[in-house]
Amino acid sequence: MFSFSSGICSVILAVLLSAPAAAYHGWAGNSDEEFELTGVVETGVSLAGPHATMKIRADGQVWDLTLAPPAAATRAGLKEGIIPVGATVTIHGHRNRDPKRFEVKTERVLWNGRTFNVYPDRK
Amino acid sequence: MYELMAWLQGSALGHAMRENGVWTYGIVNLVHILGVASLFGAVLVLDLRLLGVWRRISLSAISEATVPVAAIGFAVAATSGLGLLATKGTEYVGNPFIYIKFPAIGLGLLNVIALNVSSAWRQHKTREPTPCEQSTLAVMGGISLLCWLTAITAGRMIGYW
Repeated sequence: MFSFSSGICSVILAVLLSAPAAAYHGWAGNSDEEFELTGVVETGVSLAGPHATMKIRADGQVWDLTLAPPAAATRAGLKEGIIPVGATVTIHGHRNRDPKRFEVKTERVLWNGRTFNVYPDRK
Repeated sequence: MYELMAWLQGSALGHAMRENGVWTYGIVNLVHILGVASLFGAVLVLDLRLLGVWRRISLSAISEATVPVAAIGFAVAATSGLGLLATKGTEYVGNPFIYIKFPAIGLGLLNVIALNVSSAWRQHKTREPTPCEQSTLAVMGGISLLCWLTAITAGRMIGYW
């Protein structure tokens, strides 16, 4: 009984662990290529949740920007309400490997001559 | 599903999670991990005993220590987990791991109920289980381990989707 159920557990674990990694915990789900995008802020910076986020519109498409964890984004000077909705920003980061997902893990946000380097250890 | 998540996100709990500083999510996440660790640590010991490990220690001695730790761990994990979910609930709609995690928790709880109504479990404090009852307990211990391992694995994977 024990080896049987632990066998099932191992199989389930193996299947789940091999699932595609993405979103906010790792970089593996995002392209290695540097990605740059200029757009208009649709939803301003939010410091809620595991990562700070914002949304920008570029070429008619709304992009989800996943930033650093809230405390790190704050240390980089990127607080809620600093960049107004409607402002034009340029962002650097790595876009999602899935071409149908308009999500960018964002390392830097440039706005109004300022650079918010939320991942200062990444180039 | 979307409506439920939107409601949860818009609730007072959702607002509290989002509007109380940059460390709120991290701290609630810490509490969640402590709850899950207590629950799974206790459940692992109890389930292994039900499966026949540590036969020299009586089941009642092990259940006396593990059941309250598991119950409190579950309460802590469920409460903090609701807060984590409420932060940005709508973002989890369509995340396949949610649809593995919550049914696994549901099955785990059904298994707890089934265990509690079984005569094998109800008698275990007053006498040793018969071989037949031992098999029943072992099956339930196995199901329990499977459910909680699945719930934890799927839960951990939510953020990587």
